[in-house]
Amino acid sequence: MTNGENAAGPEDIIVCRDVHKWYGSFHALKGVSTTVKRGQVVVIIGPSGSGKSTFIRTLNRLEHHQRGDIVVDGIELTDDVRNIDAIRRDVGMVFQSFNLFPHLTVMGNITLAPMKVKKLPAREAEEIAVQLLERVGIQDQADKYPAQLSGGQQQRAAIARALAMQPNIMLFDEPTSALDPEMIKEVLEVMRELAASFMTILAVSHELGFAREVADRIVMFDEGEIVEDLPPNDFFDNPRHERVKRFLSQIL
Amino acid sequence: MMANVRPMLRPPRFEAGVLGWAHANLFNSWHNSVLSVVVGAVLLLALWFGLRWAILTADWSVIATVGGRFVIGSYNSDQACAGNNCFWRPQVSLLMVTMLLGMGWGMAGGGVTKRIAIIVGVVIALFAFLPYSFERMGMDVRLLLLANVPAIGAGWALARYTRFGTVKWIVIFSVAAFLLTIILLRGIAGIPGLQPVAVQHWGGLTLNLILAVAGITLSLPIGIALALGRRSHLPVVKTLCVVFIEVFRGVPLITLLFMSQHLVPLALPQTFPRDSLLSAAVVITMFSAAYMAENIRGGLQALHPGQEEAARALGLSGWQTTLRISLPQVIRSVIPAIVGQFIGLFKDTSLVYIIGMVDITEIGRTFILGNPEFRISTKEVFIFIALAFWVFTYGMSYVSRKIEGHLGVGQR
Repeated sequence: MTNGENAAGPEDIIVCRDVHKWYGSFHALKGVSTTVKRGQVVVIIGPSGSGKSTFIRTLNRLEHHQRGDIVVDGIELTDDVRNIDAIRRDVGMVFQSFNLFPHLTVMGNITLAPMKVKKLPAREAEEIAVQLLERVGIQDQADKYPAQLSGGQQQRAAIARALAMQPNIMLFDEPTSALDPEMIKEVLEVMRELAASFMTILAVSHELGFAREVADRIVMFDEGEIVEDLPPNDFFDNPRHERVKRFLSQIL
Repeated sequence: MMANVRPMLRPPRFEAGVLGWAHANLFNSWHNSVLSVVVGAVLLLALWFGLRWAILTADWSVIATVGGRFVIGSYNSDQACAGNNCFWRPQVSLLMVTMLLGMGWGMAGGGVTKRIAIIVGVVIALFAFLPYSFERMGMDVRLLLLANVPAIGAGWALARYTRFGTVKWIVIFSVAAFLLTIILLRGIAGIPGLQPVAVQHWGGLTLNLILAVAGITLSLPIGIALALGRRSHLPVVKTLCVVFIEVFRGVPLITLLFMSQHLVPLALPQTFPRDSLLSAAVVITMFSAAYMAENIRGGLQALHPGQEEAARALGLSGWQTTLRISLPQVIRSVIPAIVGQFIGLFKDTSLVYIIGMVDITEIGRTFILGNPEFRISTKEVFIFIALAFWVFTYGMSYVSRKIEGHLGVGQR
């Protein structure tokens, strides 16, 4: 198993080399290098402020990095608008606060981007949406507005919205942190199913049970750096770094 | 088990019904009770004297004496429309408006538009049957007024049974009706019956409405553009918008109106006719757009940043994000401020009296100044004018409440 070494091969869907990010004078990412293979599920953990969210947000350029290279699915992330648009079409993102569009129905939320970005005809976009709603288990909520759904249903609709662009990579930014326990379960269920379908997934999450069960790798961030990158069993049972042990003892 | 045994509890006696409401809100403590009695007595007295004056003392015949001038000013006077009767021209414009109302009703199939169309139709028909007759108000005027009722019906049928019953067509027809109104009122030289009427003779409520409609329909898009421009990352665009907003917001409307007489013509080619109506409309629009821009900007700032992020993450372009995600939510959330701005603009159209235009308020003032025998009727005249303004502003606020309720479906 590659653990973030720099040997880019055809299997590598995300390659980061020495990525740096500053907010003003605050050094948020201090030279992050890692490689993700197609179909891998990577769970990212770490204390708050450690740069884990910033990192996955650089992958679809919601944040731009100031040094280093990021190549996503063969496309280098630069300021070139065409590259950014191409990558965003290829990378789905799910947010902690769902960020569904409140003025559109669930169906409208899901079909908007396929119709406006991919220029799919309405009927085709709706067919895709119906299938996706079934897949995430809320097919009977299509005509409701986001505010009429529970948190778990909203997050599942948000996952369907991201999947509607048929991305090769899914980014999850603490997808269950804003949810009640019983709703966490239904969202994780959808993510589990996604992982089993060979989707490449990067998820910032503190659901360690989920991570142990589904992840190929667990990456821990601390102070803007990757401090550990191991398969789940090794990560939990034989962490190499003192910082990992300390963090695990705090949240377990 | 236990739940089945527990008896249903009635609400406490004082929490329901009129008595309950009064007890909870007016007489819930001894000082509130005293306050309620005192305020109630004052209100009742005011109502008593007000009604007694309005019904017994006031002489409302002055309203009929001013008559059509409230609506169109001196448009139909001999100086404006020598030898002819020009009253039919604003009346045809009114017919277009009522027909559009009917179309709105036909498209919506009921609700607010239906209620408004029916009220407007009834009120106009009542005017046609008024027992008064004022300056040049003959049978033709009454018949044209009455024609508004079938016009509403025709609009309704048009929207109902043809392909014109869509928002797109109603907007197109509205713009056409506005332009036609201007052409009709202005007249065309050389066509009998359509002799030109100079803009300084346009007046009354028609003038207020023309300025308000132009200002309202143009200040919203200009305001949105300014608000977006002010948030632009391009320094030149941003600076221009900031300067525009701060200049038009920082100068009183009256000052702007004075200046408009000299400044707007400077921006137009020499050959362009000097037109006080046009410069007034431009200034009122810009003034309102500057405030509108700040309302919209406030809404943009209150929008959760995650909304734009989610849209961008889906691959929507900047423009698509603005038009489909940000603006629909922003405009919805600032409707109260927008409508407040519209109401303010409508009332501010009265200020054009300062550059010699004769709006409905100025009609009242000059009528009383010019006819000293009516000095005693000053109250009646201005109460009528206030009522005329209030009917329109209340209509705007009523429609906006309905729109808010309608858009609020499924919203937090």
